[in-house]
Amino acid sequence: MNVEITDLTRRFGRNQAVDGVSLQAGPGVFGLLGPNGAGKTTLLRMMATVIPPTTGHLRLLGRDPGAYGPRREVRRRLGYLPQNLGYYPGFTVAEFVEYFALLKEMPAARVPAAVATAVERVDLGGRAKAKLRTLSGGMLRRVGIAQAIVNEPELLLLDEPTAGLDPEQRVNFRALLRDLGQRATVVVSTHLVEDVGAACSQVALMDQGKIVFDATPDELTARGTEQGTGDAPLERGYTAVLAAARS
Amino acid sequence: MTDTDPGVPEAPADVDLGRVWISVAAQVWRRQPGWLERTAGRLLRSPGLARALLTTPSLLLPWLLTSIAVLAAGAAATTDSGQPLVALVAPAVAAAAIAYAYGPGMDPAWELSCSMAISDRMVLLVRALAVFAVNAVLGLAASAVSASGAAAAVTFGWLIPMTAVCAFALAVATVARSANAGAAAGVAAWLITVLSGRVASGHFAAAVTDTFLFLPYLAIGAVCAAIALYATRIPRGTLR
Repeated sequence: MNVEITDLTRRFGRNQAVDGVSLQAGPGVFGLLGPNGAGKTTLLRMMATVIPPTTGHLRLLGRDPGAYGPRREVRRRLGYLPQNLGYYPGFTVAEFVEYFALLKEMPAARVPAAVATAVERVDLGGRAKAKLRTLSGGMLRRVGIAQAIVNEPELLLLDEPTAGLDPEQRVNFRALLRDLGQRATVVVSTHLVEDVGAACSQVALMDQGKIVFDATPDELTARGTEQGTGDAPLERGYTAVLAAARS
Repeated sequence: MTDTDPGVPEAPADVDLGRVWISVAAQVWRRQPGWLERTAGRLLRSPGLARALLTTPSLLLPWLLTSIAVLAAGAAATTDSGQPLVALVAPAVAAAAIAYAYGPGMDPAWELSCSMAISDRMVLLVRALAVFAVNAVLGLAASAVSASGAAAAVTFGWLIPMTAVCAFALAVATVARSANAGAAAGVAAWLITVLSGRVASGHFAAAVTDTFLFLPYLAIGAVCAAIALYATRIPRGTLR
């Protein structure tokens, strides 16, 4: 298992953002669904080693990221797209991706080809030399995805990756996700249920800091056959599970 | 009608055009680092750390030009008045620059940087060291230009208080996770020190001329540096 989480909690002052989460994920695309404020981003930030858990146990790629050496190894094999991707307006697309390839300690000789591959995979080849300040929101999101996959990560964490993408880009992105999920563990946090249905092999639903559902998208759909509201079967499953968890 | 232009030779079947394009794109898009980045990369033995150093917000040209302007004005005023104004200005300028070197709000991709193999603490330390060195050089240049009479006696005296004030600004910025808080605390602390020195001894430059203060400055610098290191510490293991 590339992700092993046991009883993980994270508290910010009095706010219990993540409350006793246990999860396991191997290679494939893992969808993390939930309403705003459910704790998805906090869980992803802990998995990205940006913040430590308050309590609980976390193993990533078979290592304990609490210790310096293993954490550095995990980070070399990690790709992370935060919800709010900051960028350097004066950098070009290629420079931005290259910068993070270097910070991931990729061998310098491999970096140019890795950057070119990542930029092409997100269909930004035509804008590789464009300054980031000239790009649209959707393009910036794709730049963020490019930096996340530049090191061909074994663990890829994407927080709301399709925010700002147009329908065609979202379809392309889902295909990219499925491709990446063949070799790596891809965890996608989103509140867009259709993304999960199209790309994920496993899905967990979070609410109020807890995991209230963890199975396949088909099983989530099945939960919505008798109750739940929504336009699509998966949406009905989502609302049914949330309603049951809150009742 | 064939799919290919008869004037263009067809690629051999065993040539992967995608790979060829990636090789071409890699060469076309790659950025050639300047001499400064290459030198920093060799010294730090890390091209990533060298690139992070060159993206330091308070080492960018507008900031450097502002620092030079402030210290030049201090040098001119020192030459005119005989008061060691460079010595009094330099620590505050350096403290603000240190606070704005790294952190949320200042570094656009700060959260992303926190998930990188090159630790954010290393980036912080390298940037803080570089900013301090640059400000020390600027301050020395300004002092050398303006040194005369009483000012000459304190040409280097401000380096120790500057170390303490910079360490204090760094500690506040890392604990509060706010560059603004760090800069404000550093500048305010220095202002209080200068004014206290004037009240206690009657002369304006006491904060940089009274040698008995140097030991407390060094102690404060060491404590604040330790606080900054603690605030950016690596958590030892996950809790159970």
